[in-house]
Amino acid sequence: MTVAIRLMRPTDLDAVVAMERATFPTPWTRGIFKGELLQGASRRWVVVTSPGGILGYAGTMQAGEESHIMNLAVRADSRGIGLGAALLADLMSDAQARGVERMTLEVRPSNAPAIAMYEDAGFHPAGERPGYYSDTGEPALIMWTDDLRSETMGARIGELAQRGRRALAERSGGAASSADGVRRALVLAIESSCDETAAAVVCGGREVLSSVVASQIDFHARFGGVVPEIASRKHTEAIVGVVDQALGEAGVGLGDLDAIGVTHGPGLVGALVVGVAYAKGLALATGLPLVGVNHLEGHLFANNLADPTVEPPLVALIVSGGHTSLVHVPSWGTYHTLGSTLDDAAGEAFDKVAKLLGLGYPGGPAISRLAKTGDPRAIAFPRAMINSGDYDFSLSGLKTAVITHVNRERQVGREIDAADLAASFQAAVIDVQVSKSVRAAQEFGVKTFCLAGGVAANAALRDAMRDALAARGVRLSVPPLELCTDNAAMIGAAANFRFMRGERLGLDAEAVPDLPLE
Amino acid sequence: MTLVLALDTATEECAVGLGEWDGAAMTVFGETNLDVPRAALTHLVPAIDRLLKDCGARIDRVGAVVCGRGPGSFTGVRIGVATAKGIASGLAVPLYGVGTLDAIARRFADHDTLVGVVGDAMRKEVYPALFRCRGGRLERLGGYEVIPPEVAAARWARDAGTGPILLAGNGLAKYADVFTAALGDRARLTPRADWTPTGTSLLLQAYAGASALSGAGPEAGDGDPATLLPIYTRLSDAEEAERSKCGASGSGDPAAAGTDVPSSGVTGPGSGRP
Repeated sequence: MTVAIRLMRPTDLDAVVAMERATFPTPWTRGIFKGELLQGASRRWVVVTSPGGILGYAGTMQAGEESHIMNLAVRADSRGIGLGAALLADLMSDAQARGVERMTLEVRPSNAPAIAMYEDAGFHPAGERPGYYSDTGEPALIMWTDDLRSETMGARIGELAQRGRRALAERSGGAASSADGVRRALVLAIESSCDETAAAVVCGGREVLSSVVASQIDFHARFGGVVPEIASRKHTEAIVGVVDQALGEAGVGLGDLDAIGVTHGPGLVGALVVGVAYAKGLALATGLPLVGVNHLEGHLFANNLADPTVEPPLVALIVSGGHTSLVHVPSWGTYHTLGSTLDDAAGEAFDKVAKLLGLGYPGGPAISRLAKTGDPRAIAFPRAMINSGDYDFSLSGLKTAVITHVNRERQVGREIDAADLAASFQAAVIDVQVSKSVRAAQEFGVKTFCLAGGVAANAALRDAMRDALAARGVRLSVPPLELCTDNAAMIGAAANFRFMRGERLGLDAEAVPDLPLE
Repeated sequence: MTLVLALDTATEECAVGLGEWDGAAMTVFGETNLDVPRAALTHLVPAIDRLLKDCGARIDRVGAVVCGRGPGSFTGVRIGVATAKGIASGLAVPLYGVGTLDAIARRFADHDTLVGVVGDAMRKEVYPALFRCRGGRLERLGGYEVIPPEVAAARWARDAGTGPILLAGNGLAKYADVFTAALGDRARLTPRADWTPTGTSLLLQAYAGASALSGAGPEAGDGDPATLLPIYTRLSDAEEAERSKCGASGSGDPAAAGTDVPSSGVTGPGSGRP
């Protein structure tokens, strides 16, 4: 555990109010702080966290091109070690990033250490507000900075930020890296690429504060697959409630956020449109930066979210109802799609076979359950393209083979053993996927292989993959089920990565149904 | 004083308006109307951003959002509704709906006449709606529906009195002759430029007449951005096919047709209500 600065949350209020009372003769009430946290994008409230609790807090209010430092306090036992400067550096860097021109504050003329700190940061006295402090009748000293966009102020803020990082790192016993010490972005992520409306709040790309998924599966089940128009309608109905719930469960307001991430492809265009349009409206209203996320990159990041030790170089197999792709990841952000399905996605094949057997929708869980009691060698279904020498897949031939088999058996009046058929079909799918995955892992010499997407929930696939890879010294990473199926937490992790790289989506952004991963 | 932002993308027009409601009257500050077929997602938010700047207004001063709910292009109307939901949620201000056909008819509210608005519903069908205008007031004579143009035209010829009918709406691009043939010399075709809603007509329609005090008319909703939905009038293809397979006809959701299945909730609040 380190000493770090992060955005203030409602759960911090007990500690903050206690410190406020211990620090100031005319303290702010809990209600004032609570109100501030609800104010939205114009405010920024941060706290210094440590294993021993909160050590300080501060906040700004932005009005046009000016930003006002409303409050700043450091716990009595932690003063004089640069935490105030670290807080100030955070607020000033943020203001600078938002294009604020000048910052101002009021301070007691008798508070010499504070005045010295502010002067150090580039504030200078600019007048007095008479009778400002009601307890003593003291006036307030008004201080202003020069233009934050000037070269001198830029250098000053940079220097202050460096000092702030050093102070935090020293308090952390040298444990905090500079990147981790100063602040971690709080991202709201929105996902609507298929039939799940999802929103999540993710801190620093790692800590999932909330993850809400509204599944539409019941509305599509009777049609045996996702109906795009129904998906689009359901997203429109659910989106506000899902986002509100995600913010509520995370205990943050829109004003606490650093960015909004949204899946802008690939997926069903009508479904993507709803999430992208909503996110753009939200970004316009709050002034928050908008970050576009590739849905497949989200699936890759789900592995890192589940287990932070999963890092590139790696090869991943993304298998779901809409995708079947083998991807080489030499580093985050660099993706080479080695191959993908030429026709049906793996999940789609499961759904179609389940429909044929009258097992209902979705087909994956039903087939995998049935397959447990069947003989995978009972029927010799084709292993399409297993020796094609490339990394592409084809599943429609297998589906046809299953249909042909069923028709032939029925014609001759033989009872179909559904368990044997399910097990044989599943084995044919798995054999090809495992064979190509192992070959890719070997060709690119990786020690880590990631399974991602809804079909990763298939236990037989996981087991076969794990065994085959382990035999070659490659570790298999499979996220827990809730991170395999579509969710927004993984989109938040990927959005954080893109956000930190300075990538932004314009307000004219489109939904891109065939968005490439590269 | 409430600064009101209005938008509609249910037709090929991306319409945005900014005005101020003082409790009694709407002052329109500006509007942007772009002819951008199938490209509303790209153009809508930049158009809003630009209009606010041109009017010297800031988004965080907006106190209410108004959105066209269709009926119209399914994806088009969802772009407008989802964007409006995002803006209203982000600002924590109410979101009200207006009927897109009503906002088109509003452009002719100063005439003393009947106005027939014909929205293009694709697949050889239209969204017809008949309005009576008198002294700046507008009354819709019936609910929203989707029917073949011939049926709508014949009905208007039979039931809508004997006076002239102003015709507007993007459905006329394909079916003007159907309506002029049925209505004869009663048909008054308006210029094509008047066939879509505008920023101004959205603002005026949202705060007009009996609904003036709160912006609450039958299509307005209760101001909650979570609950305002598009008006579709038609089920998804999959549901339509299922319904005809069940032998059900007429209106109502599949549950009412005897199939014990969850409805996709296509009949949003206000749909089909006069």
